[in-house]
Amino acid sequence: MEPLSSFFAVSVILLGIGIYGLTTKRNAIRILFSIELIYNAANLNIIAFARLRNPPIVTGQVLVLFTIALAAMEAAVGLSIIILVSRLNADIDLSKLSKLKG
Amino acid sequence: MTDLLFLAFAAVTVGAAILAIEARDLVYGAAALGIAFLGVAGLFFLLDAAYVGWFQIAVYIGAVVVLILFTVMLVGPKKGETPLGLKRVSLLAAMLMSLLLGMTGALANATAFPGPDSCGSGCDLSLFSTSLLKNYGVPLEFMSLVMAAAVIGALALSKTDRGQ
Amino acid sequence: MAPVLGPLQPIVDMLTSPLFLEIVLFPGLLSIAIIGALLGWLERKVTARVQLRIGPLYASPAGGILQMFADLIKLSFKELFVPENSDAFFFIMAPTTGLVLGAALVGLIPFAPGLQIANIEVGLPAFLAIITLSPTLILLAGWSANSKFPFIGGLRALFQQTAYEIPLWLSALGVIMMAGTMNLGQIVNAQTSGWFILPQALGAFIFLVTSVAEMERLPFDLPEAESEIMMGWQAEYPGVLFLAAQGPGFVKLYAFSALFSVMFLGGFLGPSFLPPLFWMLLKTLLIIVLIMLLRSTFPRVRLDQLLRAGWTTLLTLAIINIGITYILVVGFPTL
Repeated sequence: MEPLSSFFAVSVILLGIGIYGLTTKRNAIRILFSIELIYNAANLNIIAFARLRNPPIVTGQVLVLFTIALAAMEAAVGLSIIILVSRLNADIDLSKLSKLKG
Repeated sequence: MTDLLFLAFAAVTVGAAILAIEARDLVYGAAALGIAFLGVAGLFFLLDAAYVGWFQIAVYIGAVVVLILFTVMLVGPKKGETPLGLKRVSLLAAMLMSLLLGMTGALANATAFPGPDSCGSGCDLSLFSTSLLKNYGVPLEFMSLVMAAAVIGALALSKTDRGQ
Repeated sequence: MAPVLGPLQPIVDMLTSPLFLEIVLFPGLLSIAIIGALLGWLERKVTARVQLRIGPLYASPAGGILQMFADLIKLSFKELFVPENSDAFFFIMAPTTGLVLGAALVGLIPFAPGLQIANIEVGLPAFLAIITLSPTLILLAGWSANSKFPFIGGLRALFQQTAYEIPLWLSALGVIMMAGTMNLGQIVNAQTSGWFILPQALGAFIFLVTSVAEMERLPFDLPEAESEIMMGWQAEYPGVLFLAAQGPGFVKLYAFSALFSVMFLGGFLGPSFLPPLFWMLLKTLLIIVLIMLLRSTFPRVRLDQLLRAGWTTLLTLAIINIGITYILVVGFPTL
């Protein structure tokens, strides 16, 4: 088994990629990608910490099951919002989305 | 053997994640995102979490990626994204934040927190399901409530513009 | 064993090891290819018999049994091209990945005690998780062809998935509750005192219907409805690629029938005067013929009918089935 630090490194790199995408991209779907990547970084972290502690606990897997379900719901709602926005606005560029401005 | 598998899964995950953010075509980006999820599922397998790994494949690639692909194809190709002009700052911020978290993680002692469901030799499926239903039964019920709310919300969102 | 072949010994050992033979010969790749081709012949023959035709006849003395191999040779000599303005990467990648996934499904099935390529603890969820990937590939294949009917076929595959996926998983849950395990070999062993088809009759029915919908076979073959959208997502595929697009259908038919007999018909269990492998293959063949008869007797449903049936009737029945299974396993709930 690899040491905890190597799994942690992968998780941190995923998180960094997610944050980078979140801050540089303005396409709504691309931002959803970044959020999903951050979710995955967190999941990997939880499972690695739960498995590689001494003694290992099973709680990490339970928590990750919950996060995966939450991420799926978030994607469903987010994508329906994106489809709605694209119908109203003909563009899903978030920086051009100013309909709610008074 | 595990080392090689770990390196392969880690490389696939990170490479596909970068491709997902940077690919010019959103369909390729969504497919790369699917590959990244597959790599994370592989890392779950290495961590003896086989059930969660298969769950990840079924939910993320079977449902989330296919929904994203559907949305990308429905919304259609966009006229190029507006670059923010903050690329270097964002890269620096992301690296700094990761470094900070990495340091926190290095400081955290994984044995410090007492766990309710420690598994002596290995975390097998029966222990997992007992823990899920006994210790986390109430969160599970709340989860299904949230799930119902999400489904109803998505339906309501997609129905609102019928009249216009 | 003394190394008699010198440096070649490890290679010879690997080539004659049981796992390697299982992967290459049976139940692995070679047998999957041959069985897939034979199923193509069987399907044509069964459909023809139902419609009072003769079916393939000339390709060999034994009732045209080599017809699919003749088709294979014909298709492999056709010109291989990628349509103009299509996305070549996904166009080629989607059907070939589909073939690999189909073969992976067969690797999870226990054909006899010990005759199983991947004996994993969570075999049943793994099978269903691999199956969920195929609509994604079909959507990509339909999109990549950059043509109307393939894209409609891909979208239909996606909508169809939302209809059958949840009842499929819920009907498998009944078997998991009865057996108390997700390992396919242990599910078979849990049926020594009685096959699950009797207590799980409702679950077996839902599983059969949803798996036919998942395989996109005839009452539910909306993504490739040849009389509506001309083979749907497969419309643009030429030559060998058409074969690669058709292949997963037959491999999935084989794998799903084997899974059905493992889950509900006691798998390789049977009277001991014949080997377990015989019983397993016999049951699988029966299910395959049943599904083929469905194809030639039922008309195609519409998409809205399928979605309504999936989200109302099948989902309700699946939840009722779980309630029945709870009473069978635990007993009546006492308050």
